[in-house]
Amino acid sequence: MTIERIDGCIGCGTCVKTCPTDVIRRDPKTGKAVIMYPADCQICHLCRMYCPVGAITISPEKSIPVVVSWG
Amino acid sequence: MDTYRKSPFVKISVLVFGGLPLLLWILGGFPERSFLKESLSFVTMLSFFFMIGMFFFSRANAVVVKDLKMHRTKKIHKAIGTTCVSIMLLHPLFLVLPRFFEAGVSPDDAFVTIVTTFHTGIVLGMLAWILLLTLGMMALMRNQLPMTYKTWRRWHGILAVVFIAAAAWHAIDLGRHSSLAMSSLIILLTAVGVRLFLKHTITSKPQKPRIDR
Repeated sequence: MTIERIDGCIGCGTCVKTCPTDVIRRDPKTGKAVIMYPADCQICHLCRMYCPVGAITISPEKSIPVVVSWG
Repeated sequence: MDTYRKSPFVKISVLVFGGLPLLLWILGGFPERSFLKESLSFVTMLSFFFMIGMFFFSRANAVVVKDLKMHRTKKIHKAIGTTCVSIMLLHPLFLVLPRFFEAGVSPDDAFVTIVTTFHTGIVLGMLAWILLLTLGMMALMRNQLPMTYKTWRRWHGILAVVFIAAAAWHAIDLGRHSSLAMSSLIILLTAVGVRLFLKHTITSKPQKPRIDR
């Protein structure tokens, strides 16, 4: 239940700033975004929405379903 | 038109510069994004590969000149050039076009972020864009420029080599579909294309005027 991939990152760092749970970090060598802590992802889609080049893929079937069971 | 269709070189070129990148693109996780985004990727990628192909559809390639004759080769070179240069000049805007239809960052903010990020790939992309604009203008204004055709041709080739080197690096670094296989294909085709040009430029000797008796 996380970000799936980052393809075509330009290294602007916007996703790192927008992620509320600190999932994404910048690779010190390449300067590009890397998924560092996927388990912490809350699937808020902020990184995807603010990425200027649409580099972030969040798999739709892995998102939290809209209707949850009441258990 | 039949001459072009029947030419084995044209057929092979379509497969190498169109079919092969498409195959690698499909094998690399297509389709995942929206139809608009995938279409823009598709158009940009094909344009880039056909721009590499322009080295092969030129005077430097003896095989194509023998197969199609120079006037047809020139027509293909011009057709690919006009189409692909226009697409490649517009492709930075393709990146932000989907932002008109999505929530989040606005298209103009996204564009400003892109051009103000001083990452190697971006700087190379901007350099390649300026070189491409120069190449395009130089081709359109060939008759107005104060130089002989041969001097123009040489400068056109040199600029094309510098452009393709910067553009290939940019595409490998930032290309969304630049997997190991795709990057290897870009490097291979670029190297062969540049070699063709260099070999032709270094080895070509001035031809004596032919006297037909």
